[in-house]
Amino acid sequence: MSSRVELINAGLLRSDGRRPYELRTISINFGAQGTADGSVTYSHGLTQVRVSVQGPHEAKPGTRRETFHDRATLNVEVQLAPFGVGERRRRGRGDKRLLELAATIKSTFEPVVQTHLYPRSTIDIFIHVLQLDGGLLPACINASTLALATAGIPLFDFVCAISGGVHGTQPLLDLTTVEENDVPSVVVGVMPRTGRATLVQMETRLHMDRFEDVFRVACDAGKVLWSEMRDALRERTGDLVDKLEAGPGMVAVKETEET
Amino acid sequence: MASISKAEKAYVQSSLLSNPPLRADGRGLIDFRTIALESGIAPIANGSARVSIGTNAQDGGGGTEVVAAAKLEVESVGDGEGVDGGRVVCSVSCSPTAYPLLSPNALDDLQHDMTSVLNATLSHPTIRPKNLCILPGRKSWLLNLDVIVFSDAGNIFDAIFMAARAALWDTKVPRTKSVQYRAKKSDRSDATQAMDMDVDETAHVGSALDTRQTIEVADFELPDYWDEGEPLNGRQAWPVCLTLNLLPALHFLDATLQEEASVPLKLLVFYSFLSDATPLLRGMRLLGTGVSDLVQVNSLLKDGEKYARNVWLALEGKLKDEDLRRNQKARERFLNR
Repeated sequence: MSSRVELINAGLLRSDGRRPYELRTISINFGAQGTADGSVTYSHGLTQVRVSVQGPHEAKPGTRRETFHDRATLNVEVQLAPFGVGERRRRGRGDKRLLELAATIKSTFEPVVQTHLYPRSTIDIFIHVLQLDGGLLPACINASTLALATAGIPLFDFVCAISGGVHGTQPLLDLTTVEENDVPSVVVGVMPRTGRATLVQMETRLHMDRFEDVFRVACDAGKVLWSEMRDALRERTGDLVDKLEAGPGMVAVKETEET
Repeated sequence: MASISKAEKAYVQSSLLSNPPLRADGRGLIDFRTIALESGIAPIANGSARVSIGTNAQDGGGGTEVVAAAKLEVESVGDGEGVDGGRVVCSVSCSPTAYPLLSPNALDDLQHDMTSVLNATLSHPTIRPKNLCILPGRKSWLLNLDVIVFSDAGNIFDAIFMAARAALWDTKVPRTKSVQYRAKKSDRSDATQAMDMDVDETAHVGSALDTRQTIEVADFELPDYWDEGEPLNGRQAWPVCLTLNLLPALHFLDATLQEEASVPLKLLVFYSFLSDATPLLRGMRLLGTGVSDLVQVNSLLKDGEKYARNVWLALEGKLKDEDLRRNQKARERFLNR
């Protein structure tokens, strides 16, 4: 018996029992967080991130010179909970990996957010990673899309991101940490309505012949994610509309009951 | 943390000092907002809890929210910072969401202040749990308690200490078994024969009268067992914090951000109430720009003890409820499924 974990067995099942193209469970919670304008807790399998969006608002004093006269700037900050990863390690604000992650997210959203509507202002995206089991960047991007949408910031399109990899010749979707460590992986962020990709990131080597397969599958998976995310947003907006319509009347009824 | 104008400050102060005292949300001076607690929220940590104070029921926003999690790691005693018998290290980090107006550097300062208060109280050797020791003099557990402030709507220290106490209450220390390596008698004689050395065999055999026993435990292993381990020893002893907000003539509890900004002085008291013993004051801090005197502090300590006991009792009840919910009730639900 080899000491390595068998990533795909003879029946084409992965180490956690999924089929190659099967995604992990997604749960989206729009519970408010403090004073944020838009917030979401997004869990994808065992990866869990909290994103809150503030703005667009006037830049903080001291960072005002970083704003542009014709568009809003995006400010992305990523923090990692020390207890969320297997080996506890404190990563400060200056940690290179987190800064890189933040820069990637920022450049992903810059063409998607309609920043020209808010000149000289800032939109803050604060990301807190609570648990990590692979697919960190896709989870951050999907959650940020949802949080921006709940904050009412105009977007050209959704960004739906997913990681993909290849084991042997078999393309895989939505890798866990174990799989990420072993197989070459690609992160693809698609804009599902226009069908364009706003992010393709690959840090490992992958054979050219295989890339197209993974890329196609990942683009399709992006569309699947889109339907999930859209449904969640629709439900929330529906709730808000219901409350808006029922609002004052409900309060009046409650008061009469109490008196 | 909120900055408010002089007029707002005067408004808040005068309404607190009026008779009867008035607060913006209609509470009395010593009333708390609603507190919610949930433990076991981080499956990778050894113990965790989430506490929120005063979130509104409709959407769960607008209150103070704090998450604490304890994680254990093995540490060698002697080299580096390891201490015989284990140690507890606390840290507080603030999400920028909680303090959107602060610059990153100011945020660092703030979390450093909070860390020092928490660490000074909880990592004190007198409340160190006994079962953090693995092999005396060689290996011990290092307990990292990480607290994250997700949003602050006032009374942050009470929330941090409540979350910390709940997380430590929830912490399970994995069971360990000491192991010792010893060559078999027969192996050893074989080896000496094979090497054909002139070794005095009797030298290995100790005197029959020698009852001294040198226990040389070399290492430990984690036995495979169905549960996560045993709770920390003396988990009742972790203190609760109570913040008394002081105006010259009166004090009040559980201040909102506006109220915090309009009082010159806060007194934090850390109490633990062990059964039937006299309450233990684990520490106190005077925060703010104002001054106080011994007589006032003395009477405040007495009042603080009274309020802290209520907080303690409520928290104790809730923690036992959570234990029940996560163990017994979960098991019943599993069986009746």
